[in-house]
Amino acid sequence: MEDADRVAEFTAYVQNGGKVEAGDWLPDEYRLQVLRFVEMHANSELMGVLPEREWINRAPTLKRKLALTAKVQDEVGHAELLYRVAEDLGKSREAMLADLLAGKTKFHNVFHYPTYSWGDVAIIAWLVDAAAIQSQKALLDCSYEPYARTMKKICWEESFHIKHGYDCVVTLASGTEQQRTILQDALNRWWTPLVHFHGPPTDPAKDRDLYWRIKAKANSVLRDEFLDRYVPKILELGLTIPDPTLHFNEESGHWEYAPPDWSQLKAVVTGHGPRSAERLTLRRLSYADTEWVREVVLAGRLAA
Amino acid sequence: MAATEAQTVVQDDQAVPVRHPASGSGATWPIFEVFRQERAGQPMQHAGNLTAPDADMAELYAREFYGRRNESIRIWVVPRATVREIVDADLLHPPAVDRSYRIVQGYTVRDKLDQARAHGEEHIPGTPGRKARPPAGPKTAMEIPDDV
Amino acid sequence: MFKNPPPPDPQIEVPHFSSVTTATADAVLEAERRGVQPVPHEPAFDVQPTLDLPAPGPAPAMPAWLTALDAAAATDVEQALNGLLLALADDEFILGYRNSEWTGIAPMLEEDVAFSSMSQDEIGHARLFYSLLGARIGVDMDQVAYGRPPAGFRNAQFLEMPRTNWAFTLARQYLYDQYDQLRLAALAHSQWAPLAEVIGKIQREEKYHAMHGTTWMHRLAENTPDARARLEAALPGAWSAALGLFEPLPGEALLIQAGYLLGTAAELQAAWLDRVGSFLRELGLAVPPPVTGARGGRQGQHSADFAALWDELTIVYRIDPGAKW
Repeated sequence: MEDADRVAEFTAYVQNGGKVEAGDWLPDEYRLQVLRFVEMHANSELMGVLPEREWINRAPTLKRKLALTAKVQDEVGHAELLYRVAEDLGKSREAMLADLLAGKTKFHNVFHYPTYSWGDVAIIAWLVDAAAIQSQKALLDCSYEPYARTMKKICWEESFHIKHGYDCVVTLASGTEQQRTILQDALNRWWTPLVHFHGPPTDPAKDRDLYWRIKAKANSVLRDEFLDRYVPKILELGLTIPDPTLHFNEESGHWEYAPPDWSQLKAVVTGHGPRSAERLTLRRLSYADTEWVREVVLAGRLAA
Repeated sequence: MAATEAQTVVQDDQAVPVRHPASGSGATWPIFEVFRQERAGQPMQHAGNLTAPDADMAELYAREFYGRRNESIRIWVVPRATVREIVDADLLHPPAVDRSYRIVQGYTVRDKLDQARAHGEEHIPGTPGRKARPPAGPKTAMEIPDDV
Repeated sequence: MFKNPPPPDPQIEVPHFSSVTTATADAVLEAERRGVQPVPHEPAFDVQPTLDLPAPGPAPAMPAWLTALDAAAATDVEQALNGLLLALADDEFILGYRNSEWTGIAPMLEEDVAFSSMSQDEIGHARLFYSLLGARIGVDMDQVAYGRPPAGFRNAQFLEMPRTNWAFTLARQYLYDQYDQLRLAALAHSQWAPLAEVIGKIQREEKYHAMHGTTWMHRLAENTPDARARLEAALPGAWSAALGLFEPLPGEALLIQAGYLLGTAAELQAAWLDRVGSFLRELGLAVPPPVTGARGGRQGQHSADFAALWDELTIVYRIDPGAKW
């Protein structure tokens, strides 16, 4: 039974900006909350690889092929770093992967959607990564230090992704009619998932991630920051955003948009998105296909 | 890292024992801590950790995770099990005994200096003149003060 | 049911892509053996393209520079050199292509990152060779790489074989890296200075590949009977296809005479057989007979696997070969 005073002391400490490390005493709820948060982040990096890796083979120039390979490689690396952080909180990587493949744990909405053209590659690398980095910057101050430090490395590596993404987008936007068409089509399809990205508005009083200072900003704040920063950049390329109600509110200083359909987000993250099954199946089958390799490596270690 | 008391996590409504980082946490393979040096002259800094089946693979992976962007000029890979951690506040910041005699903050001459200076000249050639400066607190634990 | 997305337009064609979105046939079988099922497909909604997307155009004709190369390589040393650069580039490009298919789904996350670095090295080397060639013939390196029909590619067929499984992939890696080391050594002092210059850089990166390859060969051969069996199953096919690496290029004698190349394909093959043979024996693996399997890559003859590879490789490029991407 946890000492209530000790928990209260800990809570006050982190709420005042205090940081904790892996080996420190942590209240059970805190440990579990951080673990869940990091686990979902790790799962998202791992699943996020799948829509993008499809296009490595199809990349139309040598430089784009290399950049996309490096980007996907980074994401796998991020998954590794994040699983490592979660592991130190007490759940093995094997258990986390098993839960992901069994559909018990979730991964981010954007990775449940299809890709149809190079336009998708550009939009994902630019806007999905930009949405992600808004969240990630807000995690740099996380009370759980190993996660905060990992976020610093991740943000540094992601900065090239956004540059690469923007370069792809601007190249298409300044290219032929066909190229502008594929870019516009991609934007038409990715707009909704992007608006969903940061999650539905939550009651700050009930948000346990805010309570424990795992994250510092509420979902709506992150979404507004993202849209305020990126809507002008999208519009200046002469692209149309598929929300006829979208407009800038001079008084509030924010872009206002049609209220998203949150039930669609729920359907997606519970595994009923257009590509949820296909991607999870690919992961499941690939993981089973390579089980013998992990057994080989483990056998070597035990024999050593 | 020193072992601490056994802990449990609640998972699927069950209490599950948590393996402490020192014993390998939830990891199947041994954990290696990675330190890196970014530029010549800088100290080795803790960069993170990774799991690997053995030390050779740990080295290979450390290079991948902490050096593939040319961000390091030197990397150390250290098995976590060999790292000894000291985090005991009583040892590192002992409250009871006054040991200020051996740190810079243990010495303040200001008041005495004002009295002594009353005997000296106001303007001494080659100096900017006596100006009252409030003592600044140290910015880091190991900061070297300006007037030393 | 949902406010977004708009209802699908029946006139808009949905593009269909191949291979990489689903598991390979081998993976499906392996998974079945382990009792692992696909995830049931129960989407709440679908998302389709909203605009008419441009379709890829047909295969380009053989470009003039390549027709000229093929016509003259046997008698003109400068064209023979172009042919050498092309083969060097294509070998690395196609192998890098196959290896990058593991990115995101390799056996372990750490290995995924390491292997991905290696495939980037390979494509990077290809890029170096394409740009050397491009400078000589006055063609942009991306046009050199992408602006050819399948018959314009001069990689050995060994490299276009599907990645199959980890045992085959690592066996191929090992066998190819040993060949590449010998080939690079035969070019390190080439009388064509631009080539000699890049070879040094490449050799330094290849050291890491060789270490990775031999470590894995040991591991697969020595750690479990299951892994050993898989390696033994992969080796004969890999070996016989690997011998196709040693098909001599047109104009080889001219290249040797000019000092551009310092070792014939036959010499490289002898050295390779010796080196790889003793390594396999050391691991207690049977050395397959020196019977060459898939030949013709160096003449632009390729397999059905390559046709599929090429189709995917150029599927975006062929929308508009003149466009900047």
